[in-house]
Amino acid sequence: MARDRSTPEDFSRPVRRILVGGLVVALLAIFLIWRIDSPRVERFRTALVDRVVPSFDWALLPITKAAAMLDDFQSYARIYEQNQQLRRELQQMKAWREAALQLEQKNARLLDLNQVRLDPRLTHVTGVVLADSGSPFRQSVLLNVGARDGIRDGWATMDGIGLAGRISGVGNTTARVILLTDSNSRIPVTVQPSGQRALLSGDNTAAPPLDFIEKPDLVRPGDRVVSSGDGGVFPAGLLVGQVAQGPDRRLRVRLAADYERLEFLRVLRSHESERIAEPGALIPPPPRAAPLPEAEALPATADAGGGDG
Amino acid sequence: MAEPLAAGVWSHRALYVALAGALLFLRLLPLGSVAGTWPGPDLLLCLTLVWVLRRPDYVPALLIALVVLLEDLLLMRPPGLWAAMVLLAAEFLRTRSGLTRELGFLVEWLLVAAVILAAVLGYRLVLALVMLPQAGLGQTLVQALGTILCYPLVVAVSRAAFGVRKPATGETDAYGRRM
Repeated sequence: MARDRSTPEDFSRPVRRILVGGLVVALLAIFLIWRIDSPRVERFRTALVDRVVPSFDWALLPITKAAAMLDDFQSYARIYEQNQQLRRELQQMKAWREAALQLEQKNARLLDLNQVRLDPRLTHVTGVVLADSGSPFRQSVLLNVGARDGIRDGWATMDGIGLAGRISGVGNTTARVILLTDSNSRIPVTVQPSGQRALLSGDNTAAPPLDFIEKPDLVRPGDRVVSSGDGGVFPAGLLVGQVAQGPDRRLRVRLAADYERLEFLRVLRSHESERIAEPGALIPPPPRAAPLPEAEALPATADAGGGDG
Repeated sequence: MAEPLAAGVWSHRALYVALAGALLFLRLLPLGSVAGTWPGPDLLLCLTLVWVLRRPDYVPALLIALVVLLEDLLLMRPPGLWAAMVLLAAEFLRTRSGLTRELGFLVEWLLVAAVILAAVLGYRLVLALVMLPQAGLGQTLVQALGTILCYPLVVAVSRAAFGVRKPATGETDAYGRRM
């Protein structure tokens, strides 16, 4: 097809090219600004997500619920069978419940005898999962609680059983949780019976690997992995999962949290534990008074014993 | 013939934004995507390229840039970079929309496949240059392949459902200009 060379679009083409070039440069500039000054752009992003995603709320929840129902639909087919099975399991559970209650009472008595004090400030806020990260290369979810509810960056989130992730990015009404499987997630953990410290670093697979184990010989598949609280932000002792050996002979962690059904997440309010910064100085003899030092020494030793568990 | 086309430009632009919003919405649904599964195709990229080759006036450059930038921001990608890549790919194809009209669909598909691969690899190259962590090469290539395989499907749907097709030779728009 021979083109007519006198149409007005032939004259506007160079102008158009310059405009498009300018647009590309502007986009790349946004990228560079983000690379250089990431926190500010991320704050803008959080504010944008905070505005946009909750406005989809009315549609997100019903569709998610409908999909989940569709997922469960096949179980309706054998509902009688399932009912029977549940009854049997309930019977067993009753026995277990009795045992658990007895153990709980025993545990409370022992704790009382030992005068152990659990951290009374460890409370939680529960949020509903609003949205996914939307990208196959990012593992994060959006909760419907935010700065309004007192959520802060870095707090731990759990589903009913295990640690799920860490708050990263808080808007007014939403907060983003970076899951343990995301490639940006690094959590200090302890492997339980041997007490080995390690770093759980997500790599975008379902079972993240353990890095920097001091003595890998002491760690066996099946060991419990709990958070170690080394960073100072996470509380220690939260269940993470079990050690498993991957096909590549690396030690990985099978996570306890059920990542396929993240509906509600608990955000643990962790308060900064008191730091012990000084190696400890000599206590000079008090200028005069005799009864004072005893009163001061007692809480100080109690802090040193309980602060770094 | 001219009347529906003239009225169609703005309504199709709105339709493009609505489709992009719907795709974004579907991807944000918390349906429990487990880490390590294979990524699906990038349908927004596919839709953009199909429309650019069919009717370039439906998807102006500014609209593409804004829509993909919004996607970047909501999907926690580095903002701006993928938008720039998509814009470059779309503009490259826009200047060649006349060429593909004369050649067959297979050639067009091959051209689009090359452009998608170039955009993905360029994206990874820039990420590597500024030393950002990125997803595995295998996963990215699988996603690009999925996008390429979806292309004929998106072409068919665009034609059947939204009436986006290549103008016939000698067809004119509302102002009597040749398209």
